[in-house]
Amino acid sequence: MWLWLLGELMDLIRTEGQRMTAAQPSETTVGNMVRRVLKVIREEYGRLHGRSEESDQQDSLHKLLTSGGLSEDFSTPYPSLRANVIEAINELLIELEGTTDNIAMQALEHIHSNEVIMTIGYSRTVEAFLKEAARKRKFQVIVAECAPFCQGHEMAVRLSNEKIETTVMSDAAIFAVMSRVNKVIIGTKTILANGALIAVSGTHTLALAAKHHSTPLIVCAPMFKLSPQFPNEEDSFHKFVSPQEVLPFTEGEILAKTNVHCPVFDYVPPELITLFISNIGGNAPSYIYRLMSELYHPDDYEL
Amino acid sequence: MAARGSAKRGAGAGAARGSEPQEEPPPPLQAVLVADSFNRRFFPISKDRPRALLPMANVAMIDYTLEFLTATGVEETFVFCCWKSAEIKEHLQRSKWCRHTSPNTVRFVTSDLYRSLGDVLRDVDAKSLVRSDFILVTGDVVSNLNVSRALEEHKLRRKMEKNVSVMTMIFKESSPGHHARCKEDDIVIAMDSATNRVLHYQRTQGLKRFRFPMSLFQNSIENVEVRHDLLDCHISICSPQVAELFTDNFDYQTRDDFVRGLLVNEEILGNQIHMHVTTEEYGAHICNLLMYEAVCSDIIRRWVYPLTPEMNFTDDKNQSYTHSKHNIYRGVDISLGHGSMLKENVLIGQGTVIGSNCSIMNSVIGQNCRIGNEVTLDGAFLWDGVHIADNVQIQHSVICDEVEVKEKVKLKPHCVLSSQVVVGPDITLSEGTVISLHPPDEEEEDDDQFSDDSGVNKEESKVKLKGYNKKDVGSEGRGYLWKADDKNEDDEEQRQSLWGPAMLSEEESESDSDLSMGSEEPDSRAASPQLDDIKVFQNEVLGTLQRGEEENISCDNLVLEINSLKYAYNISLSEMMQVLSKVILEFPLQQLDANLDSQNYFSALLPLLKNWTPLFKNYIKRSSDHLNALFAIEEFFLEHDSLCTSIAKVLMTFYQLEILEEDVILNWFSLRDTSDKGKQLRKNQRLQKFIQWLEEAEEESSDGDQD
Repeated sequence: MWLWLLGELMDLIRTEGQRMTAAQPSETTVGNMVRRVLKVIREEYGRLHGRSEESDQQDSLHKLLTSGGLSEDFSTPYPSLRANVIEAINELLIELEGTTDNIAMQALEHIHSNEVIMTIGYSRTVEAFLKEAARKRKFQVIVAECAPFCQGHEMAVRLSNEKIETTVMSDAAIFAVMSRVNKVIIGTKTILANGALIAVSGTHTLALAAKHHSTPLIVCAPMFKLSPQFPNEEDSFHKFVSPQEVLPFTEGEILAKTNVHCPVFDYVPPELITLFISNIGGNAPSYIYRLMSELYHPDDYEL
Repeated sequence: MAARGSAKRGAGAGAARGSEPQEEPPPPLQAVLVADSFNRRFFPISKDRPRALLPMANVAMIDYTLEFLTATGVEETFVFCCWKSAEIKEHLQRSKWCRHTSPNTVRFVTSDLYRSLGDVLRDVDAKSLVRSDFILVTGDVVSNLNVSRALEEHKLRRKMEKNVSVMTMIFKESSPGHHARCKEDDIVIAMDSATNRVLHYQRTQGLKRFRFPMSLFQNSIENVEVRHDLLDCHISICSPQVAELFTDNFDYQTRDDFVRGLLVNEEILGNQIHMHVTTEEYGAHICNLLMYEAVCSDIIRRWVYPLTPEMNFTDDKNQSYTHSKHNIYRGVDISLGHGSMLKENVLIGQGTVIGSNCSIMNSVIGQNCRIGNEVTLDGAFLWDGVHIADNVQIQHSVICDEVEVKEKVKLKPHCVLSSQVVVGPDITLSEGTVISLHPPDEEEEDDDQFSDDSGVNKEESKVKLKGYNKKDVGSEGRGYLWKADDKNEDDEEQRQSLWGPAMLSEEESESDSDLSMGSEEPDSRAASPQLDDIKVFQNEVLGTLQRGEEENISCDNLVLEINSLKYAYNISLSEMMQVLSKVILEFPLQQLDANLDSQNYFSALLPLLKNWTPLFKNYIKRSSDHLNALFAIEEFFLEHDSLCTSIAKVLMTFYQLEILEEDVILNWFSLRDTSDKGKQLRKNQRLQKFIQWLEEAEEESSDGDQD
């Protein structure tokens, strides 16, 4: 019967996590899951080691002062640790599978009858959210098509299949139509540690227009999209794909003389956002830091 | 990306098992990668490194090709190498393709005896390496295509019409003028738009006019499209028959031979070639340095996404870059001096040190380079280990490994500095300079061009060490000037400029197109005989008449000559009449050249007409001949407006010399259905006077007759 050395396991996971996030930095969910697993392992270890769940190292200043070099020593092997960790990870998996439903369940509280809702691009979470609300309420949806990938079209088709009155419009008309909109509900790619969003290109425009008209901007996103990184290094989350979508190859000669970029994501600052709806309920952007500390351990913020 | 291949394989196998349980799962997709180009286009650069290992954005070319194949689901690749095969093999064995976790198994087939693509495919057939459809690609293809759709179409076609379609070529839609369209590789294609079948395939390099055989449009195909907006990706999906066809036809050396051979022999063998056009994905083949530059800048500007530098698809620790605004890619451990600017589209390899106040744009810099202060790089491609001293300017040039460029050197566009060359201080290298450590005449000694141990031979034979020419490489320089040698016309291919035909030739070619057609005509490959022959005939007649004038040959002999020409070129009588009249009328023009004055013209024409009256009389016998001659005259004067005034005199002369009769002239004049210009002509004052005089003369003579 071999005994586990937990420290080695965590190092292994960390190394693989670094490799995976380096391969595609814009897919922050990968890193988030690695951090969640590390947190799960720490918790299980802590439970077995005798520490109570509530006492978090960060809580008491006094503890910080007196405990000195707080290095969690993971070297004590526990035979039941493996089973516990596997069970905890399974719970995590179940939680992940249920996130969309959890978010959709909150739809009725936020969407009222005869409302005009605006959204942009295609988000599966928002689609489930709106479909759930459509079962009991009648409302209209305006979808901004989100050039150049135009995923808004797909969203509009799916919504109209559920008998929701849907309108598609181009991104340029967002500001013009905003005055008639009651709420803006969007999905996102990543939620950053300061409550900002990395969302599909075009979302910043939408958020600014909503702010101007004081229309509430609601972000539906599951908690696994919350990333403990801050947007300090300007370019780390960007993803530029082939400029083919913007200026196709058939344009010929001018392509050699112009620089064409096709960014996929936008940065939306936290002051433009009203509410985050996630699988653990609705929260203000200013509360995000707290949620983060529950999900991830501070030592894991930098993988 | 690699996962996509295995997932597809699983899904494909599962689907097959689900729908038709008796059928076996589809065989794994194979590819034949020819890692040798069988030409010396990239000499002297490829003397040190095989072309497949030349770095594009610091990653070897063959890596791009293998990544493309793996991403598209290929599971077994045969890499055929000939020149410097040991290096290629070593590089690949170190790479991720040869790890045991790689979804794509790489097998090497090396031989010194390959001299062309044809040899490789014959070997494939001999060794029965491929079991079903395979992808044929060369080692210098950069692409992010997903071949699966084209592959499905190909398989469907072969299933529907039992094995008639032999190959599917993949093209990318790209307008003419795009910098990734190589002028040497340019093609024009006629296709059947319903089935995507290739009907006609022609290279367009150097041709100003294209000819298409009429049979192309006269057969039963409804929609024939002629396309010039296609870029040949050099990726083909081949069936095993392709290898067999190469074995059967020993003279097929390249893919072009194969395509042309198949299209020509279509009725006999019944094989067809189809094509697949992709609009959104990228595919390019690097055949010369201009293409190298174009594809490198496309990679940096992310056209080949997801094969971009920061993805580090080769999984090499030294190749991790961070991507910033304006397409700046920075490797690890680089240092940039104070005031230096990376403007846009720059890739800097690991460990490079750049001095202060430099300005770098549109460039690729390799690993461990040292760049001094006040350096300007624009469109420069530096490989690993390059040392550049202060105050250097480099534009649109390629600088290979471990080159040293000393102070105050200026490299004009399109220079190439091959490996380990040193270029001395204070010198400007003019456009198109190629400097290499291999002396240029070494090539003639190099009989065994494809042998790997050529290095050994060089050591022994180079006992007479040539000194370096200070004018070429500077006072501290080391290297020889490598010039394109004009002497040897047969080996033109290997002496061609590394860069290939320049992009600017577009504007010049338009002005030449109006020159006389005669000079281009010997090039009549797939020609329709009519047009060609008349022109040639015209020239021949002109030549005959010129000789006749110079040497005072009698008219009988001239008639004989013209008759023989008429039979040789199969010209009908009426055409001959027209040509003859035209030639004679144009004759003085060539002598007069500049001053096309009516007077001078007529005075030059008159003696000629007098001399050659028997000629005319011989040919103008029936009235239709008269008419033809008149039409020719009319046409001539319509073309040369300035000579209009002398038309009356010319006609008068013809009448007086009794070449043309009054009736015919009057007939011609009164023809109702002439073109507007013809009517204009007839309104000419003098002509009208002449016609009047003619009529009166006729009346008088007829009166006279009656009397």
